[in-house]
Amino acid sequence: MLDILISSISQGLLWAIMAIGVYLTFRILDIADMTAEGSFPLGAAITAHQLVSGTGPVLATLYGALGGALAGLVSGVLHTKLKIPDLLTGILTMTGLYSVNLFIMGRANVSLLADVKTVFSLVDLGNATWDTILVGGVMVTLVIGALVVFFNTEMGLGARAVGDNQAMSAANGINNDTMKIIVYMLSNGLIALSGSLMAQTNGYADLSMGIGTLVIALAAIIIAEILVRNLSFGKRLITIIIGAVIYRLIIAWVLDMGVDPNALRLFYALMLALFLALPLIQKQVKQWGERRENRQRML
Amino acid sequence: MPALVVRELHQYFEKGTVNENHALKGIDLTLEPGEFVAIIGGNGAGKSTLLNSVAGSIPVTHGQIKIGDQDVTYQNVAKRARLIARVFQDPKAGTAPRLTVEENLSLAQKRGQWRNFWANGVKKRDRALFREKLASLGLGLEDRLTAEIGLLSGGQRQAVTLLMATLQAPELLLLDEHTAALDPQTSATVMQLTAQLVAAQNITTLMITHNMQDALNYGNRLIMLDHGRIAVDLKGDQKQGLTVADLLRLFKEQSGQELNDDAVLLS
Repeated sequence: MLDILISSISQGLLWAIMAIGVYLTFRILDIADMTAEGSFPLGAAITAHQLVSGTGPVLATLYGALGGALAGLVSGVLHTKLKIPDLLTGILTMTGLYSVNLFIMGRANVSLLADVKTVFSLVDLGNATWDTILVGGVMVTLVIGALVVFFNTEMGLGARAVGDNQAMSAANGINNDTMKIIVYMLSNGLIALSGSLMAQTNGYADLSMGIGTLVIALAAIIIAEILVRNLSFGKRLITIIIGAVIYRLIIAWVLDMGVDPNALRLFYALMLALFLALPLIQKQVKQWGERRENRQRML
Repeated sequence: MPALVVRELHQYFEKGTVNENHALKGIDLTLEPGEFVAIIGGNGAGKSTLLNSVAGSIPVTHGQIKIGDQDVTYQNVAKRARLIARVFQDPKAGTAPRLTVEENLSLAQKRGQWRNFWANGVKKRDRALFREKLASLGLGLEDRLTAEIGLLSGGQRQAVTLLMATLQAPELLLLDEHTAALDPQTSATVMQLTAQLVAAQNITTLMITHNMQDALNYGNRLIMLDHGRIAVDLKGDQKQGLTVADLLRLFKEQSGQELNDDAVLLS
């Protein structure tokens, strides 16, 4: 039982980085960016390729994240400069990235042999899961710290204003397109970082590892928002970690119940649908309760 | 040098189709520094089109717009923001709802300037200034610097938007029926506040209003638009002592047609 909790925390920390990346476009810009499912394996592919070619783990991870930022740049430019709707932009970049990832890896799957050094082998707590928690924890902390600082700078305030009210931000001289592109790049950089870390902890990068990741990230965000409503930016990012861990726990529990792993993505989708509908269901149930009381009062 | 020059400005909507609408038919308008112009006119007269053309939210393809010595004809809204501040009709439109009051003020303080990614968005030293400015509104907002601005009422938000627009004095202030969405009492308060802020820094102002009485009471120049043309233009003394009835008569003389008071008041 404790094992499941610890492994869920280690996985949750890595997924949280992706969820935070998705949060930037999804909640701050109010854009549904599907580039995620291409930039996640992109980060994994770049890092795996670099590690196998002998690059050090820190640099290989950084390259992975930068690759994601570049993918974000492409989506950002398509969306803002060519005015392609956000959903289509994501699909375009994601589709293109499939080939790019294949070029980078040279084949559909790259394994990291045991002797390949990863960011997780930089520390040694005597147990791979604890290594993941330590490195993942440090990464998430750095990411959240940097984002909180950035989104409270002059430029960061501008970026948040763009997501809030574009007429207002333009009237105050903020270049909406540039700000959106910056957030696109940050977002996909983080998503690729998550993919890079995931490849290093799993020991392989796979062409199809991006499929379904957006749903996992969104679920973490929605769980966080159901747990606590209306939080400041920094606190919200911290609750997203909790959301990601809870989600891993649910998955672990489901697998433990003997659900066919092949049915897992169907389960991901159903569960996210449930989470999204939960606020409405809560409201309905409350209203039914109130009406029942009201009927009795009115008798 | 004039503060604003609009020359031979035409605007067409859906040009070349059966629905073509020639919304502005050659507007020539020059504003001297410190002029506070009220613009009135019925539905479809071109008031908003004129203001949007000056602001940059409608691209200009016929004519020229200069602010001070700068030709802004082909600049977008964000580019013009270093010269222009704007208050919209919808109180929600002028502020970013999920940002706090002080964050909104800080954003406006840097209107049109480069925003650094190393400098704090809200600076400690500015808080005292913000508090003092907010206190001058008399709405009790000085204690709500860290409240999300979306939680404020429409009137409060519009007052803060006005403050934001004048925090860094613009070359030109555009007011787009900025009291129209407020209840009569709040509307009057915001209108007085406008006059105060504009006078304090002698800001050149272009104000659209649907309220003829406000147009007569406030500002030192009055322009009436009709079918995309300037029908009446009254400056300083000419405007003194005028009544709504005088305005209606003037309009009839200039445009050759009757103007229904309601058409102006209710549009």
